[in-house]
Amino acid sequence: MTTQLAVDAVGVTKAFGQVRAVDDVTIQVAPGEVYGVLGPNGAGKTTFLRMLFGLIRPDAGTIRVFDKSWDSDGVGVLDGVAGFIESPGFYPYLTGRQNLEGLALLDGGARPGLVEEVLEVVDLTDRADRKVGGYSYGMRQRLGVAASLLREPRLLVLDEPANGLDPAGIRDMRALVKRLAASGLTVLLSSHNMDEVEEICDNVTIMNRGGVAYHGSITDLRAMAPDPGHLLDTNDNAGARALAADHPGIEVERAEDGLTVVGQEAADGLTVVGQEAAVAAYVADVVRSGIVLRVFTPTRTPLEALFFMLTDQEVAA
Amino acid sequence: MTATSTLPTTAPVKAGTPGRPGLGATIRWELRKLRAQHRTKAVLLGALLGPVPIALVIHAQGRPPKDTLFGRYATTNGFALSLLILGFAAQWVLPLLIAVVAGDIFSSEDTHGTWKTVLTRSASRAQLFTAKTVTAVGFAVLTLLVLSASTIASSVLVGGHQALTGLGGQLIAPSTALKLVGASWLTTIPPTIGFACLAILLSVWSRSSAVGIAAPVVIGMVMQLVGAMGGVEALRPFLLTTPYEAWHGLLSAPRFTGPLVEGLLTTGAWAAVTLAVSFALLRRRDITGG
Repeated sequence: MTTQLAVDAVGVTKAFGQVRAVDDVTIQVAPGEVYGVLGPNGAGKTTFLRMLFGLIRPDAGTIRVFDKSWDSDGVGVLDGVAGFIESPGFYPYLTGRQNLEGLALLDGGARPGLVEEVLEVVDLTDRADRKVGGYSYGMRQRLGVAASLLREPRLLVLDEPANGLDPAGIRDMRALVKRLAASGLTVLLSSHNMDEVEEICDNVTIMNRGGVAYHGSITDLRAMAPDPGHLLDTNDNAGARALAADHPGIEVERAEDGLTVVGQEAADGLTVVGQEAAVAAYVADVVRSGIVLRVFTPTRTPLEALFFMLTDQEVAA
Repeated sequence: MTATSTLPTTAPVKAGTPGRPGLGATIRWELRKLRAQHRTKAVLLGALLGPVPIALVIHAQGRPPKDTLFGRYATTNGFALSLLILGFAAQWVLPLLIAVVAGDIFSSEDTHGTWKTVLTRSASRAQLFTAKTVTAVGFAVLTLLVLSASTIASSVLVGGHQALTGLGGQLIAPSTALKLVGASWLTTIPPTIGFACLAILLSVWSRSSAVGIAAPVVIGMVMQLVGAMGGVEALRPFLLTTPYEAWHGLLSAPRFTGPLVEGLLTTGAWAAVTLAVSFALLRRRDITGG
C-alpha cells in the first residue's frame, strides 16, 4: 500500500517567454513532513508554489495535492491546503477581523470562535479591529498565517514567511512556524535562508535557475557540507599563518578585502577552514605562541557554504 | 493529535476540509467590501442628492434650453425637467456612475495584491467572477434606481406636475405622465447593464481601475459622436448608447416600442460578448503578481 503524498509534483515546468522559471522540477512531500524549498531570489520557488496553488498553469508536468489535481478536481485541490505566496495581500480598508471573516466566507464559513482563535495564535487579537492599511509588514505576515489557519489546513504552504521582517519579527515568525510544524501539520516552506530551513525542515529541495540543485534530507545535506569557516585576525597574521603548517586538518588563507562577517566587515585577517576540533587546537596554539587574537568569528555555517556552492553564488569564506 | 493542538489556543484548531462557498456567500463577501468603501457611498449619495441642485438650477433658468429634448418645457413642467435630466445623464453621467464600481471591482484585486489571497481559498475563479459581476451589475441598477427616483421626485417638486406635452405634441395627463417618465428611466436599465459589463471587461483586461472607470465614459462619448454622425445609420443599432434613446417612443404619439426591443437585443449581445471575453481572460490568466 502506498502512502498518499501531501504534495506530489513531477516534472513541473513553466516558462515565461524564453525564460524557464521552473524547469522539470519534482518535489514530493509526505504527510507530517516539514519540507523546505530553498534557493536564491529568482530560483523559481515562488513560481513553483504559485503552480501548486493553481495561480499559474504549468506548461508540463503534474501536480497532485493529497492525490487531487487541478485538471480533475479544480479548486478541490486546495481542500486542506492553506498558505500564502510572497507577502499576503489584504484589503486595507477592512480591519484584520473583517478580512478574516470575509475570507472565511470564501471557505464556506468558519466555525464559531475560529477567527478569534487564529487571531490569538498569531498574537493579533488586540489589533484585530484596526484597518489593515495601518498594519506593519510583520503584522500583515502574521495576519497571513492567521488567514491560512482559518482553513484548518493539513498542508501549510509558506513562501518566504520571514521575508522583510525585522530580527524580532523573524524570531517570532520562526517560532510560530516551528510550533505549527511541531503540532503535526505538513509544512512546505520556501526560503532563501539556509538557517531558517535547517532549523525547521526535515527534507529540502534546493532550486537554482529554475532547476533542482539538490534534493534530499537535511542530514544528508550536512554530510555533504564542507568544513566550517572562520575569520581570524591577530596582531601577527603572518606568524599565525605559519603556525598552520603544524595543523594538517585545516586550511588558512589570507582573507580577501571586504570579507563579510556577522555584524562587521574585516579588511584584513585570515580565513580558517576546518573541523571545529582542529580549528580549536590551531587557535589554542596561536594563543600559546603569544600572538594576540583580535577577531575570531564564524563566517558561514557548513550548510550555508554548501548552499552557496550548489547555487553558484559567491562564497564568502 | 489535532493539527495545531499544541498552539496556545482556547480550543484546539482541528485539521479539516474547508467547505465550498455558495454563490450567496461569495456575493456577500463582495457586498461587504463594497459597503466598506467610501466611493460606493459617495456614488449612491451623489445619485440621491445630485439631481436636487441640478433640478433647481435648470428650473431657475430664465431661458429654457429649447434645442434639447423636452428642454422647452423644462422650466415649467417637472416631468419634462426629469426627462431633460435623463437625456443629459445618459450622455456620460450614467456610464461614469456605473463604472466607479464595475470598472474597479476586478482591477482592485490587482491594486491590493489580493488575487492570490482569494484564489487560494475554496472559491473557484468562476464563482468569484459571477459574484463580482452580479455585485457590479446589481450596484449599477441600484444606482440607476436611486438616481431615477431622486430625479423624478426633485423635478416634480421643483417644476410641478402639470400635464406633459409629448413628443408628438399630445397632452399627457399627469398620472400617465408620471408612469411614462418612470418607465422612461427604467428603459435605461439594459444599456446601463451593458455599460457595466463593458467596464468589467476593461477592468479585467487592463487590471487598472483608472482604465476601468474612465474608459467606459470615453467609449460612451465616442459612441454618441458616431451615432450623431451622418452616413453611419447602419451602425447605430449596434451602439451601446442607442438604447439610451429608446424611451423616446414611449412619449410619442402613437407610441412605439421597437427601439426598446432592439435595445434589449443590442445590450444582450454586448453583455454576452464582454462577459464571455472577461471570463476567458480571467480563467486563463496566470496570477504572477497580486
